[in-house]
Amino acid sequence: MEADGRVILQNVTVRYGRRVALEAVSGEFVSGSLTAVVGANGAGKSTLLAAIAGVVRLAGGVVNCAARQRLAYLPQLAAIDRDYPLTVAELIALGGWPEFGAFRSPGSALRARAAAAAETVGLTGRLRQPIAEVSVGELRRALFARLVLQDAPIILLDEPFAAIDAQTVPVLLGQVRRWHQDGRTVIAVVHDLDLVQAYFPSTLVLARRCLAWGATEMALPAMAA
Amino acid sequence: MMSLHALIVEPFTTLAFMRAALVACLALALMNGAVGTLLVLRRMSLDGEVLGHAVMPGAAVGFLYAGPSPLWLSLGGLASGLAVAALGGLITRGGARRDAGLVAFYLVALSLGVLLVAWRGSNVDVIRVLFGTVLAIDRRALLQIAAASSVIVLAIAALYRPLAVGAIDPGFLRAVGVRAPYGALFSALVVLALVASFQAFGTLLAVGPMLLPAAAARCWGLGAAGSMALATSFGFAASVSGLLVSYHVNLPSGPAIVLAAGLLFGISLAAANMLPRLVPMIGRSA
Repeated sequence: MEADGRVILQNVTVRYGRRVALEAVSGEFVSGSLTAVVGANGAGKSTLLAAIAGVVRLAGGVVNCAARQRLAYLPQLAAIDRDYPLTVAELIALGGWPEFGAFRSPGSALRARAAAAAETVGLTGRLRQPIAEVSVGELRRALFARLVLQDAPIILLDEPFAAIDAQTVPVLLGQVRRWHQDGRTVIAVVHDLDLVQAYFPSTLVLARRCLAWGATEMALPAMAA
Repeated sequence: MMSLHALIVEPFTTLAFMRAALVACLALALMNGAVGTLLVLRRMSLDGEVLGHAVMPGAAVGFLYAGPSPLWLSLGGLASGLAVAALGGLITRGGARRDAGLVAFYLVALSLGVLLVAWRGSNVDVIRVLFGTVLAIDRRALLQIAAASSVIVLAIAALYRPLAVGAIDPGFLRAVGVRAPYGALFSALVVLALVASFQAFGTLLAVGPMLLPAAAARCWGLGAAGSMALATSFGFAASVSGLLVSYHVNLPSGPAIVLAAGLLFGISLAAANMLPRLVPMIGRSA
């Protein structure tokens, strides 16, 4: 990937009402890095991703991210309204939004790419299913296929491995590894510390402020402390 | 015994006001099928209810200024509806309890509207503003309704994609850099639809023909377009049957139409609960 995938944080602070969710976090996600964001519940992990994506207002500080218009963001499953009548294929095709936009429908080339992306995450037979009828693991695979289609230099994953079946985890990990090999910057909120140790070269430990940030074997012990 | 023709067709062929009411209701059903389905899918039924009452104080000011003129009632209603839609957007951003805030708006708007109309008008005027006068729709009001309905159907057709995505995955559009305020545009369309319904159904009932057929249609497990078409058909059916019942039994028409829509909702709910049990094979083979 040639695009600049760096994300630089300077004193990033986010407040929800009076509650401080994130306080003065500074540091740099190097272009092409693969970083796990860990921390207790309410430590500001999702808020950090939202701040990078530009979907929450900062109470202070700056997020410096040249590729912000081209980043891809995996929300938590709770953020998806699964009752909406939409098929898996349509959900995946949304990844091509910048190509068709609000007023046109996805073209046949894009739909072919969506089908190919579905195949890489093992969803080929499920394309015509409504999203209300697929399993949680399949929905997450579909959202991963949407990220594949977005073809972004920076990929933000909010709890990509939470609450899914054992067969789906290796499929998603394989995709994360392919993104890393492509040289994309991947930042993922992860709860399973064994996964972090095994697959993520860098780790950021959050507890509203930044406790440790660096190579996983150096940073992760801060989580236990 | 009355013939079927006398029962169903004659009221409309012999009476101009019944024809006008029918055409108005059909035009409204066309628009309400699309707007109502999106309201239900976007989980904004309560917002729709509140905006329905938000139309009231403005319409009342229009009434004070010009008497029961459809144009001034509509302009006033549009102004106060849009103002409350904008304020509603602000409460969400402020992080206060959204449902409590919306209900507060609804109560204040309703009381203010009734006070304003009662101040200069009679009880009959209050009842008219609250429940509408579907049988008193003249040519001009009909043209207003048809124009609003056309604009709304075209606008929903154009904006459907971003509105749907905003409902399914609210963060997605912002994350891909879309800054256009589609949610606010939709609220404005809802207000316009409610203002168009206001003369026929009044501020209390205008939400009924919008939400009930749409909620009924959602029970049948169709896609978005299918739900909109079914909601429109339910709206047609409720309009025709409500008007006929009110004519033959001499009851108020607006509430009769809303009740007919409510009946369709009840039937749909019951069918949605029973059908999968009666024919389990259909669900499985699909």
